[in-house]
Amino acid sequence: VCTSRFWFNYRHVANTLSVYRSVKRLGIPDSHIVLMLADDMACNPRNPKPATVFSHKNMELNVYGDDVEVDYRSYEVTVENFLRVLTGRIPPSTPRSKRLLSDDRSNILIYMTGHGGNGFLKFQDSEEITNVELADAFEQMWQKRRYNELLFIIDTCQGASMYERFYSPNIMALASSQVGEDSLSHQPDLGIGVHLMDRYTFYVLEFLEEIHPASQTNMNDLFQVCPKSLCVSTPGHRTDLFQRDPQNVLITDFFGSVRKVEITAETVALDRDLAAFESKFPEDELATEPLKYAEQLPVAQIIHQKPKQKDWHPPGGFILGLWALIIMVFFKTYGIKHMKHVF
Amino acid sequence: MAAPLVLVVLAAVTVRAALFRSSLAAFIAERVEVASPLNAWKRVVEGLALLDLGVSPYSGAVFHETPLIIYLFHFLIEYAELVFMITDVLTAIALYLAIQDFNKVVFKKQKLLIELDKYAPDVAELIQTPMEMHYIPLKVALFYLLNPYSVMSCVAKSTSAINNSVIAFFILATIKGSAFLSAVFLALATYQSLYPLTLFAPALLYLLQRQFIPVKLKSKSFWLYTMQYASLYLCSLVVIICLSFFLLNSWDFIPSVYGFILSVPDLTPNIGLFWYFFAEMFEHFSLFFVCVFQINVFFYTIPLAIKLKEHPVFFMFVQIAIISVFKSYPTVGDVALYMAFLPVWSHLYRFLRNIFILSCVLIFCSFLFPVLWHLWIYAGSANSNFYYAITLTFNIGQILLISDYFYAFLRREYYLTHGLHLTRQDGTEAMLVLK
Repeated sequence: VCTSRFWFNYRHVANTLSVYRSVKRLGIPDSHIVLMLADDMACNPRNPKPATVFSHKNMELNVYGDDVEVDYRSYEVTVENFLRVLTGRIPPSTPRSKRLLSDDRSNILIYMTGHGGNGFLKFQDSEEITNVELADAFEQMWQKRRYNELLFIIDTCQGASMYERFYSPNIMALASSQVGEDSLSHQPDLGIGVHLMDRYTFYVLEFLEEIHPASQTNMNDLFQVCPKSLCVSTPGHRTDLFQRDPQNVLITDFFGSVRKVEITAETVALDRDLAAFESKFPEDELATEPLKYAEQLPVAQIIHQKPKQKDWHPPGGFILGLWALIIMVFFKTYGIKHMKHVF
Repeated sequence: MAAPLVLVVLAAVTVRAALFRSSLAAFIAERVEVASPLNAWKRVVEGLALLDLGVSPYSGAVFHETPLIIYLFHFLIEYAELVFMITDVLTAIALYLAIQDFNKVVFKKQKLLIELDKYAPDVAELIQTPMEMHYIPLKVALFYLLNPYSVMSCVAKSTSAINNSVIAFFILATIKGSAFLSAVFLALATYQSLYPLTLFAPALLYLLQRQFIPVKLKSKSFWLYTMQYASLYLCSLVVIICLSFFLLNSWDFIPSVYGFILSVPDLTPNIGLFWYFFAEMFEHFSLFFVCVFQINVFFYTIPLAIKLKEHPVFFMFVQIAIISVFKSYPTVGDVALYMAFLPVWSHLYRFLRNIFILSCVLIFCSFLFPVLWHLWIYAGSANSNFYYAITLTFNIGQILLISDYFYAFLRREYYLTHGLHLTRQDGTEAMLVLK
């Protein structure tokens, strides 16, 4: 989730897109990623290189390309939509790509970046999400069994305040700076004119470049990324709610989609009866007569006969009642003596 | 008098027929000033089409007319243009006959008051003579038939023409003195658009006057007659509503028609005052303001009844005008109805103070309506505020017109009883002010 908009927050979009790229590279498909961006960088009139978002200076790496699938863009990135995605309380008309279709065996990675403060994160310059709201959202997710384990990474100023209030089990959190510290940006690109990345995310990405789907690197290595010498701010992490030891948690548990696939060359008989059934089948095929369509629609009848228009008619009782009333009114005003002229 | 009336009718029918055949018909039918969600012809056709498909016409908030209109147009839909022209002609004839009778009543009353010496000695020039009153019914029919507003409303086939015709028949029945017919027509008018309910008071006052029953709260005959008239009216209303139930075998028409009129859910711009306010309002205030606005229509009845109890037909005119200004979905067809009455008060011309500026305001606003609509919707260089400004100005013009006539009427009545040259205590000329 990138919670900022406007050109000078280029780096937040670059952060989010870089993490998105790494996660896709490690195997998670777009159908399993919910990407929320303001998406006003690539086509921004101030972008000297339109349709690109660079994450390294000297325009080395374009993280925006043909296959970036943004699920919530521009003004749809709101606190309400974010919380609805997390908790699953979405209107029924929402498409699948905008939903978090997780269940109790899913590991979820949540990466948020933007401008934040002590206990809140600013969404698009108009609203905020507080750490209490976030913690409650995660508790709702836990009670609805929407995650197995959750990794929460946040790259904002005073980011550690956002994970202080979590109280649901199986959550691990990382932040780029402690309360009272600001997260700083990494490098400006003089050609584009803005800062391209934040320090913490830059070093996390350098770390993630080393990871491939089969690597055995664990969370403790992630906690070491970006020491104070490189990051100027002190990254923090929280593992007390997590049941497993971070030493045993693989990076690819959250960042990649690693399946255990075993290839075998032999056939496996599932059921002995089924095997017998299978052998009977070829004989049946020969015995049946050639198939043909049943006479479902009497097409000839339909074409040559005009459909009878069923018109609506006012009910007889109504017509009778109405005209009786009209006649009564007429005779009441003009007297009964006219009746003999009528009949 | 029949021949000039026939000529006028022919001229009106020709104008309408010519417009029906021209390309303007489609353009006028879409104008929001002429067709509101309540009375647009498009919606009637849609409702009938839904009925042919086997669905209730009231589903989907498209059709907001009453079941009797469904019945009427079910059989007459191919002759719709003829129906509307005949309706306009009938309205004009009803108004003609009504005003003819009314003139006789006015003249009789005037004669009575002169003989009873109720008038001051120097008011000879204020008294209406039969010569000048001779052409008034024709002028009324003329004003109604050739009023651009009613022509446009007929060409657009807006069902407000039918409403106008029912109200015209109601006025005819009241002035002729038949309480039963007037109750029936009033019930029909109320059934169609709810607001003519307020015309109960002037009709009652007129009928009481005709029966020579004085309007005193303690008088038993007053209450007896009121109860009779009210029960006639309510019974016919109930009978008509129950009969409409039998048309479609459902009560959906009640929320679709009356619920729609009262709760104003559709905020398409029209020449009324409701749409802009409710478009801008917060949800939790809307109920309160809907109530306030609706009460505004009904509110003037009682004070006007107290002030104008000797002059119920003028009261009826003012009431119809108030309905057409303050109703929830007014159209120019409603404006045409009360403007038809203006020749009846042409003797008040010398007392009207602002008639020039008001007629200019009304004419200019009528021309500016399509201009600002175009600027807002098509050119995009204006916004709803511009159109609402014209709506407001038009309605202010109408209200000032009504109050001007009211002032002129009361002033004339005062002069009649107190003499034309009013003097204050010290002998200088005094001026009457409406407080």
